[in-house]
Amino acid sequence: MRTHPSRTADRLLVVAAAGTGLAAAVLALLVAPTDAVQGQPQRLMYVHVPAAWLAYLCFAVVLLASIAYLLRRDLRWDRVAQAAAELGVGMTALAIALGSVWGRPVWGVWWVWDPRLVTTAVLLLVYLGHLSVRGLGDDRAAGARRAAAVGIIGFVNVPIVHFSVVWWRTLHQPASVLSPDPAPMDPRMAAALGVAVLAFTLAGALVVRRRLRVLAALDADHHPFPAPPVAAEPLVVLPRSRP
Amino acid sequence: MSAPVPLLAQAAAVLRREIAVERAGREALVTTAPFVAAFVVLAGLAFGPAPQQLAVAAGGTTWLAVLVATVPLARTVAGTERAEDSWDLLRGLVAPGALFAGKLLATWGALLLTAALAGGLVAVLFDVPVLPQAIYGGVLGTLALAALTTGFGVLVATGSRRRGLMAALLLPAGLPALLAGTQLSTPGVAVLPWALLVTVYATAVLVAAWAVFPVLLEE
Repeated sequence: MRTHPSRTADRLLVVAAAGTGLAAAVLALLVAPTDAVQGQPQRLMYVHVPAAWLAYLCFAVVLLASIAYLLRRDLRWDRVAQAAAELGVGMTALAIALGSVWGRPVWGVWWVWDPRLVTTAVLLLVYLGHLSVRGLGDDRAAGARRAAAVGIIGFVNVPIVHFSVVWWRTLHQPASVLSPDPAPMDPRMAAALGVAVLAFTLAGALVVRRRLRVLAALDADHHPFPAPPVAAEPLVVLPRSRP
Repeated sequence: MSAPVPLLAQAAAVLRREIAVERAGREALVTTAPFVAAFVVLAGLAFGPAPQQLAVAAGGTTWLAVLVATVPLARTVAGTERAEDSWDLLRGLVAPGALFAGKLLATWGALLLTAALAGGLVAVLFDVPVLPQAIYGGVLGTLALAALTTGFGVLVATGSRRRGLMAALLLPAGLPALLAGTQLSTPGVAVLPWALLVTVYATAVLVAAWAVFPVLLEE
């Protein structure tokens, strides 16, 4: 019996994500040295940074899928945008939470009014709004159009979040990797971070693929094929008996 | 057979209609002016009374008032047409680009008046100077907010439920205008990065809102 190609791809993704995830855990916890300044809390960065990366990637997918939906009017693109937005919102929340847990021992506070933190929190709100506008009406296509519009306008904030560190640097450290002048990093730390980013990306792809199947099934439930007409019951005319 | 009306003429007609509706009902003025006045007075009480504290909070107070005022203004973008049941007629007669331009200019005017009122009240009550760069930030920041308000206002017009969602959509999306406008209103802050930010932001939002506006009319 042959396996469906998408199931095979899912299995490959599971194996790849689990393998790279395990490698990332080993590299982050056992191989990478302890940071000389920040100590053990720095190891949270091996989850915080990949989560933030995946969130950015998801929001880029939301933008592209939203544009594709508006051009093609194919609900498959809307489902891609929805699945990516859901994962992006989750990853943004995870990045904020882990950053807060890291900030307490390193900065001495759970939260600071740093532009990057604030704009990331705002980004979370924008994409929560993107997910919420789907429920404004009962029309599935209208909800998809509204979500696509909000997805495009909301993406305006994404580059502002990234470049806010460069433009308005205050307390948050500048980007270590994606910056014009990258900070020096121990190669073992860089390897752990790189493998963790890869693991998150693969796991994210798997989650989105699974979610797409669920959303497709929901759409199929909401818009079923027209039911075959029910056969009319035979009309039987009985002679009325006269009293 | 009559010739098609040029887009600019359509936009001007929509704007004239918006001004006429506003002159007749004073809807935007009544919606925002008392709110802004109350906001500034209460902010002065909350952040003051020391002059140094008021000076620090002045720019933020102005821009927070403008940003929050976009939420009730968004309901007026297509509110009259909805009340008169003429929204479908209007969007059928006017090209989407012209409708967007007319509505945008009307909303921009309302927001400029809101910013002028808030900024003037803050300057007088908080005793702070009005900087030239603050005027630049005010013009472009309100333009960006007007584009957002127009787009999301139409989204409200077509989706009657969950109007509270408007605040959740508008306030976060307007954050760059709040940041840049506040910094440009603060003496001693570097002007160039913030002026650049508000310029890029206004351009990006304007283009994005113009691009998606026709889609929001397809209801």
